[in-house]
Order: sequence, then C-alpha cells, then structure tokens
Amino acid sequence: MPKRVAILASIYRYLSHAQHIGDRFLIGYPRAGEWHKPDLKVVSLYVDQKPQGDQSEERAKEFGFTVYPTIAEALRCGGSRLAVDAVLLIAEHGDYPRNEKGQVLYPRYEFFKQCVEVFEQDGRSVPIYNDKHLSYSFEKAKWMLDSAKRLKFAVLAGSSLPVTWRLPDLELPLGCEIEEALMVGVGGSDPMDYHALEAMQCMIERRKGGETGVRAVHMIEGGAVWQAGREGKWSARLLTAALSRSDSPQGLTLADGRTQDLVGSGALPQLVKNPAAYFIEHRDGLRTTLLMLNGAVRDFTFAARVKGMPGIPSTQFFLPPTPNVTYSACLVSKIEEMFLTGKAPYPAERTLIVSGMLEACLTSRLQGQQRLETPHLAVRYRAPRLPQYPRE
Amino acid sequence: MRISRRQLLAGTPALAFGQPRRPKIAALATIYFKYSHAQHIVDRFLEGYGWNGDHHRPPMDLVSLYVDQVGDNDLSRERAARHPSVKIYPTIAEALTLGTSRLAVDGVLLIGEHGRYPRNEKRQTQYPRYEFWREIIQVFEASGRAAPVFNDKHLSWNWEWARQMYDDARRLGFAFMAGSSLPVTWRTPSVEMPANAEVEEAMCVAYGGVDSYDFHALETTQCMVERRRGGETGVKWLEAYRGEHFWKAWEEGVWPRELAVAALCRSHTLTPSRAGFNHDFPTLADMQRLVKNPVAYRYQHTDGLMGTMLLMNGLVQDFNFAARLRGRRQPLSVQMYLPMPPARTSLANFFSPLVNHIEQMFLTGKPAYPVERTLLTTGLTAAGVESLHRGQVRYETPHLAGITYRATQESTYWRT
Repeated sequence: MPKRVAILASIYRYLSHAQHIGDRFLIGYPRAGEWHKPDLKVVSLYVDQKPQGDQSEERAKEFGFTVYPTIAEALRCGGSRLAVDAVLLIAEHGDYPRNEKGQVLYPRYEFFKQCVEVFEQDGRSVPIYNDKHLSYSFEKAKWMLDSAKRLKFAVLAGSSLPVTWRLPDLELPLGCEIEEALMVGVGGSDPMDYHALEAMQCMIERRKGGETGVRAVHMIEGGAVWQAGREGKWSARLLTAALSRSDSPQGLTLADGRTQDLVGSGALPQLVKNPAAYFIEHRDGLRTTLLMLNGAVRDFTFAARVKGMPGIPSTQFFLPPTPNVTYSACLVSKIEEMFLTGKAPYPAERTLIVSGMLEACLTSRLQGQQRLETPHLAVRYRAPRLPQYPRE
Repeated sequence: MRISRRQLLAGTPALAFGQPRRPKIAALATIYFKYSHAQHIVDRFLEGYGWNGDHHRPPMDLVSLYVDQVGDNDLSRERAARHPSVKIYPTIAEALTLGTSRLAVDGVLLIGEHGRYPRNEKRQTQYPRYEFWREIIQVFEASGRAAPVFNDKHLSWNWEWARQMYDDARRLGFAFMAGSSLPVTWRTPSVEMPANAEVEEAMCVAYGGVDSYDFHALETTQCMVERRRGGETGVKWLEAYRGEHFWKAWEEGVWPRELAVAALCRSHTLTPSRAGFNHDFPTLADMQRLVKNPVAYRYQHTDGLMGTMLLMNGLVQDFNFAARLRGRRQPLSVQMYLPMPPARTSLANFFSPLVNHIEQMFLTGKPAYPVERTLLTTGLTAAGVESLHRGQVRYETPHLAGITYRATQESTYWRT
C-alpha cells in the first residue's frame, strides 16, 4: 500500500508552487535520468483560495482524491482520525496581506498549527514538508519546529536553491574554515531575498563547528550599500567572484552582447537603482553578506573565501526556465525521501534560522536601517554530511 | 613555394625562452553582430570573461580583425574604436601579416558562422571556412611559419575541403582546434563518460536544423563516446530519417527508446503536452503532435558502436545525451547545458570554456582536445545532409571509417 499524502495549499493554479510541486506527486518527475513515479498516493487536498484558474477540482477528479473544505478534514479524509501518512504544506502564492516590514503573511504557521492540533487529538503524527520559509515570524517558525520535536515527526522545509544544480558543481568541504561569504540575489522582498539567504546558508553551514546561530543583523538600502562596500563592510573581491558566475549581466550586455566586469567597470551604481545589503553576524564570528542587485543581473550566485582553498570558490545556483522549473523536481525528490523514510534529508533548522534572519533584517530596515542584536537566533545545527543537490 | 614541416616548426613559438611575450592574435570572421559567434568569441578576448571566480583577461592581444560582411548591425567597428590594440584589415592576408609581407600573429581565430552566404541544393549554407583557410595557409607557407588556428564549429560544409583543412594542418604541423561549445560547456549533472567505458549505444536528443544544430548534437555525443574502450575508430555508415520515416523508425525500435526517455529526462525545456501541466512526460502521440519535422541520424562506428541523433523541434530546446554502458543497469545520461541568450540569459557563457581552451592552445602550441573529433562530426553532418538529400537512404562513409583517435585523459568540459 503506497503511503497516503495530503496536500494543503494556499492556491492550486498553473505555475503556482502547489501545482508544480503537487503535480509531481501525481504524474511523476525526472530523477537521475528516469521519469520517476513516487510510490505515494495523494488522497486529499485543501486549498485556501480558489482564484481564477484554480485547478483543485480538476486535479481531484482526474487523480481520484477529494478536495476538503478544512485542513482537519483533509488530514482525516473526511473521517474522524488522521488518515494520511504525510503532509505537503504549500502556502506560496495567493492573495495575502503584507505587514509593515513588507512580509507577505502566508498562512504557513496557521496551516501547520492545524496539522499539529489534528496530530495531538488523534495521537499520531506524520512528516510535513513546508514549502519555503516556515513563517514570516521567527516565533511562529520556532513553535512549528518545537511542536515537531515534541510530537516526534519529521519536518523538511525551505527553498529549491539548496537542492538545484550548481554551476560549477561546488560543495564546500565539511568542516572547512570560511573567512567570509557573499551571496548575490535578485527579485523582490520578501520572497526572493529568502531564497538567496537560504542558498548562502546551505553553503556556510558546512563550516567548522556547524551553524551556531546569528548574533546580529543589519540591513541597508540605496547608496549606503555602495558606501559600505567602499568601507570594506562587504568584499568587492567576493562580489567580482560571484558575478563572474552570472549568465545574465544587464546594461551593456543587453545592448550589444558584450561580457562585462561589472565591479571593475564601476557600472553597478548605474545599473542598480535600489541595492540592498543584508549583513549577518554569526555567533562564531563569521560575517556574511547578501546583496540584492536588481538591475545588474538576473541570477543567484555565491562566493566565499575559504582557508586552504585556492582562489575564491564561487558558483551559480542554477534555476532552469519555466515552465519545467526542473529545480522543483530536485526538491520533490527530497520531499519524497522524507515521506518514505520518515527522516528529513537535511535539517529544518536551516530554514528556521533563515526565516529568523530574514525577519530580523526586515525589522532592521524598518527601524531606520539599524544594526539589530538577535539573541533569539541562537539556532544550532549541523549540515548534512552528503551533498543534497543532484550530482548524478 | 613548398616548405617542410620542420621549417615551419622552426618558426618563432608564442612563448620563447625567457620573458614570455603576449601572443598576438588575429580574428577572421564572416560577420560581427550582437550574439553572432564572432561577437561571443572575439569579445571574450577583448573584454575578458568570468572564469574561475574572477573576471579573466586573456594574456594575449587581439591585434587584427577581418570581417567579411559589415552590415548595419556591425559591432566590429565599435570594438576596434574602443580597443586601440585592434586594427581592422581589408583582407585576410593583411590581418595575418599586420600589413607586412610575413605572418605577424601567433594565433588565428577563424569564425565562419552567421552572415549571408548561399545555400546549395542540399540546403547546406556555404560558409567560407575553407576559403578563409586557404588564405591562411598561403600566408603560412609564404612566411615559412605557421601559428595555431581555431576553427569555429565544423570544418567546411564540403567534406573534401574539410579533409584538406585537416591535412594542411598536419602537413604544416601547426596546432589546430575546432568544433562546438557543447563538448566543453556545463553539464547537469556534472558527469563524465568513464574512461574506457564499454559503450553499447549512444544518443543525443536535441533541437535545431540540419546542417546547423545537428553538428552540435553530433559533437555532444562524440565528446562522450570517444572516451570508450579502444578510442574512436571512425564511422562506417549513416542513415537519416525525417517526418513519417522518423516516427515509423521510432515505433519499430530502430533506435533504443529507453535512451530517448533517459535523454528527455535530462531536459530542462520539455514542452508540456497537456494544458495546465508544467512538466509531464509525453506519449508517442503527444510527441507526434508537438514535433512537426523530426530528424534522426543513425550511424555505426567501425567498432560496432551505434549512435543516434534526434532533432525534436517543438519538444525540447536543449542538448541531452544518453548511453547504454555494459555493466550498468541504468543509462548514463546528462544534459550539456547552454545558457542561451536572449530568452534564458544575456550571455552565451558556453563560449567561455571554449575560449579558455583556445587561449591555452595559443599559449602552449598544443590543442586542448583532438581536432579529429570535429573532422569526424564534420563528416557526419555532411553525411546526414547527403542521406536526406538522397531520400533518407543508408549512406556508406568509407571516408570516415579510418578516422581514429584517442580522447584526452583529462576531462575538458566546464567544471571549475
């Protein structure tokens, strides 16, 4: 008997996260050169909103499951007890308000809490995959993982970036000594800065001693970002390395196809109208920076200075194009692994700390771009021993 | 004037003993506009490019440029104006001699891709690669000195001329590299054909046209299968299939369908066959609906290995390789990934590893990988055209049967 899966989604519409992740459980997905059909059965679906283009009923009809009006009913399949073996929680996309920090208030915590209530009432709990960050609020996110520990169920969460292909195939050695790290991202806040922070986190968590938490954050925007660069608050050398991995420089490249040294040429301030820098001070002393550089490039790149490694190890987190978005197939293979084994292939604490550092950065911005101590972010964890992105 | 190989080799190497001097490079291009091959390649010498975590500037000077066709969208004049080291010459000979009477450069880029050139009755575009080559050889011979040459893409569209190019380079003993970016670009995942693998069947599923991207697909397969046990042995025959013939061959299992499936499972651009789904695996009926004019080349190597190239426009927009290996249950499969502008990227960075290998040849006088690969794929491309032209018949290729060579031990695709 295949394990039974419930999908809880904010919306289920073409190219929403629920569609491209959920569908892979229905029709399969490419994995290691095969069209792999998971030995899992989607038995129920809850959708919070049904916008134009909603596919929930259509999918239910074709694949023989039921759309339930509440989360509890979806988990119990209309009965009185938990009737699924795994939960896919995808609250991304849909019409939800933003708070004063600019965070979209996706109801991930709210969905998760209802799962926990059912688990408690029914005396059984099952693994949950939570798409993207756990919650806009670190407090809520922490409650989610604490509940999972208390009720002893596995949680996997986060972005596709840590599990997609890398160009080049760079994995930092476990236990390496990272001197500094820098990530370049693009897109809006708060969805895309989250992806960028988690991509950086999956690299730096491999350092000696593992992750020990974040002591303080500082977010700045506008011309102050370039000033901070001149003052050495972020490394132009690391930025050069990261951008050397980009396939999408803008400006003169768009005009006539030429390659560019975006840092050396001094073109960045013209290209990037509203840069943002997210400075993260880890408790073990490591300082990392995320630069959101809309207007300069359109991809996600990373660079670090690592003791004993020649040059500047750097890579691009490869996001293959729509509509296939094959990076989500990489993610689904990890979710499937947890659903089948009951063990998360990498720790949800990664997503917890990134949820917290993003929230703290946005608070820093709201409070006049002031440095903010973050004693609450004392999240400790160890990286998975083996690489989690596709290498064969 | 006939000169011996020994005389040519006695010419000045790019790197003499003592203080290394910066090699001087000439670029000969059919045309130079945004996203033309000349722009991708020559720009990397002029502007530098991202490499190994830095903005790398080749340690050599591109000093001369010949451009055969200069249109409204030309960029060569802008490049020369902005890079005073570059001078544009009206003839190939002058570009090579820098206006003197003797060869005055240490490396030559021959980029005969893009531009308006006639097509023959077989629908081959008659890019003047051989014509450019003849002029290069004349300068080399007249100067008593040769320099390494990189020829972009396949050699000539005309097999006899292609062979002549290869023979000239051998006769005069200069380093010669050619070919596509596909063998040297990123792979997803980053895997190599194991050295001395026993390859039983190999396939590339790609897109594009005949006498065009078929060459890239053939190079994709060749850079993998040349690593097999015994090395490359040449190709005995090729048979092309198109349209209805293609689907009939598919249904009859003329080529192994499981390799097509494995290759398609490496694609990042599989056209959804159902509305509302972003990534589903097509049925045969779906493929027949989506792919209007499929083309296959099926060919046999001298040692028995079978190769297949499928161009499936409408289904994929990338280059995917799969092979059946003895002793391995699952096919080995991989995508040779091209960050292709303008839809997906702004830079065609698959030219970066190509240029880096060319640079190494200009510095060391040694090709980074054997030009015999491209001699063979040039012959296969022309054989595909020939088979189609003759009505999709099996075309015997005794002229390709003797092309034997060994792959480099080191991988040469982009991994750093």
